[in-house]
Amino acid sequence: MTRYHEAALVDSTDGIQFKVYGSTHPKGFIIAKPKYVPSGVLNLVGLKKRFLFGKCMYRFNLFNSKEIVEKNLGAIRKKFPYYIYECKKHRNWFLGVPENKVKKFYDTKKGLQELIKVPVEDLDPYLKATRKMIGILGEAGISTENLGISHSTLLGNYTPGKSDIDILIFGVENGWKAIRHLEKCKNTSLTWKSKEDWARYYKDRVVSKVYTEKEYVANMVRKKDDGLIDGNVFSLFCIEDEKESWYDWEADHNPLGTVKIKAKVKDAYHSIVRPGYYELEETKVLEGHKEVPIKKVVTWARPFSLQAKENEEIEACGLLEKVKTKKEEFYQLVIGYFDTYTSDRGEKEYLKALIS
Amino acid sequence: MHFYESSIITTKDGLHCQVYSNQHPDNKILVKPKYIPTGKISSDFLPYRFISGRKMNRLNLWVNDQDKLKQYIEDFKKAYPDYIFKSPLHDKSPLFFAVPREKIERAYSPSEGLCDLMSIPVKDLDDHLRTVVELVSFLLKSNLELKDFGITYSTLMGHYSSYRSDINIVVYGKKKFWELMRFLEKNSHKGLRWKTYEQWEEFYKKRNRHMIHRKDIYIRNMHRKKSEGFFRNTLFVIFAVENDDEAWFKWGEERYKRLGTAKFKAIVKEDESSAVRPGCYIVSDSKFISGDSSCKNLDITKVVFYSRDYSMLAYKGEKIEVSGVVEEVRNKGGEKYNRVVIGYFDSYLDERRDNEYIKVIEG
Repeated sequence: MTRYHEAALVDSTDGIQFKVYGSTHPKGFIIAKPKYVPSGVLNLVGLKKRFLFGKCMYRFNLFNSKEIVEKNLGAIRKKFPYYIYECKKHRNWFLGVPENKVKKFYDTKKGLQELIKVPVEDLDPYLKATRKMIGILGEAGISTENLGISHSTLLGNYTPGKSDIDILIFGVENGWKAIRHLEKCKNTSLTWKSKEDWARYYKDRVVSKVYTEKEYVANMVRKKDDGLIDGNVFSLFCIEDEKESWYDWEADHNPLGTVKIKAKVKDAYHSIVRPGYYELEETKVLEGHKEVPIKKVVTWARPFSLQAKENEEIEACGLLEKVKTKKEEFYQLVIGYFDTYTSDRGEKEYLKALIS
Repeated sequence: MHFYESSIITTKDGLHCQVYSNQHPDNKILVKPKYIPTGKISSDFLPYRFISGRKMNRLNLWVNDQDKLKQYIEDFKKAYPDYIFKSPLHDKSPLFFAVPREKIERAYSPSEGLCDLMSIPVKDLDDHLRTVVELVSFLLKSNLELKDFGITYSTLMGHYSSYRSDINIVVYGKKKFWELMRFLEKNSHKGLRWKTYEQWEEFYKKRNRHMIHRKDIYIRNMHRKKSEGFFRNTLFVIFAVENDDEAWFKWGEERYKRLGTAKFKAIVKEDESSAVRPGCYIVSDSKFISGDSSCKNLDITKVVFYSRDYSMLAYKGEKIEVSGVVEEVRNKGGEKYNRVVIGYFDSYLDERRDNEYIKVIEG
């Protein structure tokens, strides 16, 4: 049975290509974000077009004005209502693909195994860099059986020098092995954005109103899941093994409103996956709700992965939920649900380690 | 659905195939497998590529080691028997590759692809695609319309490499194609340049051209072609594909009997169908030069080729020398004529690869 895991690609029967979000899903539905939508099947606005797989495709993007996102989601909802999952347990909606609408699943592990069989001399510089990155992860003690490639690296529609090299690491422990190795790795092919690069990026792109430049730089510069290998940007995606799955789609999630908190990170082990979480202690509600103990911050947005380490103080803003599982009841803060792209909450959400 | 030559088919078994004809047997599409997954069969003497998430062999029929190529094709026949087509029209079927319709995963349409590409704002395109759009925009200054064009191979499938991949343009319709050639003879563009004498000379040295052609005649003949050049320094090739009403033969309307192999001289009477694949020259005044005695007294009226190397090589009134398989053709009405065929796939597996040719001769 196919396991639809985080960062995999799925083509739907309508020709839409989706990027899978998360490795656990509600029954019969795969949480995923449309990545490429054929211009022939939907009329969307405010999106870039790409010529891919012999067709004109919209590059679907939720990082747009609320009005544009709403309009595009409205177009999807009208023509393909089955790509929107109304979840009663969350009192919220999710994008994705019903399993019975999956036309093709791209096997990320098999793709990597095929790639490493190709003699290096037959590869272009982009794929050579991919192979080199795989080698570096091997040095970290991660076998190739626990690695995959995805997106344009897998499909072959990459632009050398521009496209990211997307490598998947299976198993949370393997993910941490990679991060720890990269923190000390001295391979000359590997480079990282410097503090100055991140400061420039902050100034040019104005990533968030909630960070100062100093805070932003301090939060970003220590991350090792994105870097450059021989001049190509690489991104590492850590994928939970099935037995490591933590997300409970059967739990009742009661949204209580937008809340700002301060807390200390007790455990950041699952902050490497999506959805990921930070287990908290010494929490304090700063705004939006009466004081309640908050067990964790859950993040669906990859920029907040690996954002804080154990024992660090954090500040975060997101949706406060009361969660009721079969075993317990607790409060959690969630950042990055799909509805944040169409609501005011999106602009307010953040998570930062108070380390600058 | 009609499958035009130069379209691309991906199959359920993971093969990437170039459609190799405009005419096809029932329920099968004649193709050349271009990329073949290495899961079932693999060969180190063929180049490898990583395409669509798979390690593939690129089938190159011009590799040096012919024995290995022969072995690979034998392995292919065993691994993919459904992709080998035995022609009932030939008394001894040449080697044909064909995709059974039920094996098609996706057929890529060059015309739909180009139409989609031209609808994309230029700012959203990379350098390679911008070059394609600019070239097509220039070609549209002829009397041809967008619907008359297509884009194929790596540009269509999206696994091109900017700065390295060719641009392969398809023109639908032989008449339109020749009209475009006339346009290109008379018009220029700042981004357009034709292959120089030296570049054709380099091309001449590849494969077996040096063994067959007289260098100066070959280069002179190639140099006049307007189907191949550079646009913004990217190599482009323009292919003609026949519209259905222009087909120079219809699959099933003729039967072919192999008579032997031989060399002939002849004069080109008609060259219009030399722009397509398979292409043909209608010839007259043929003269046997050498070969099987069974061919000695034959009159050849058609020269057919499966390799694009021979497209638009000779023009009406020119004298050519041809070497290939001689076939007796009988049409539905019972009329007979003889033809020489160059470039059936099996010719690449033996000495015929270096012995089959069409060349323009003087005198």
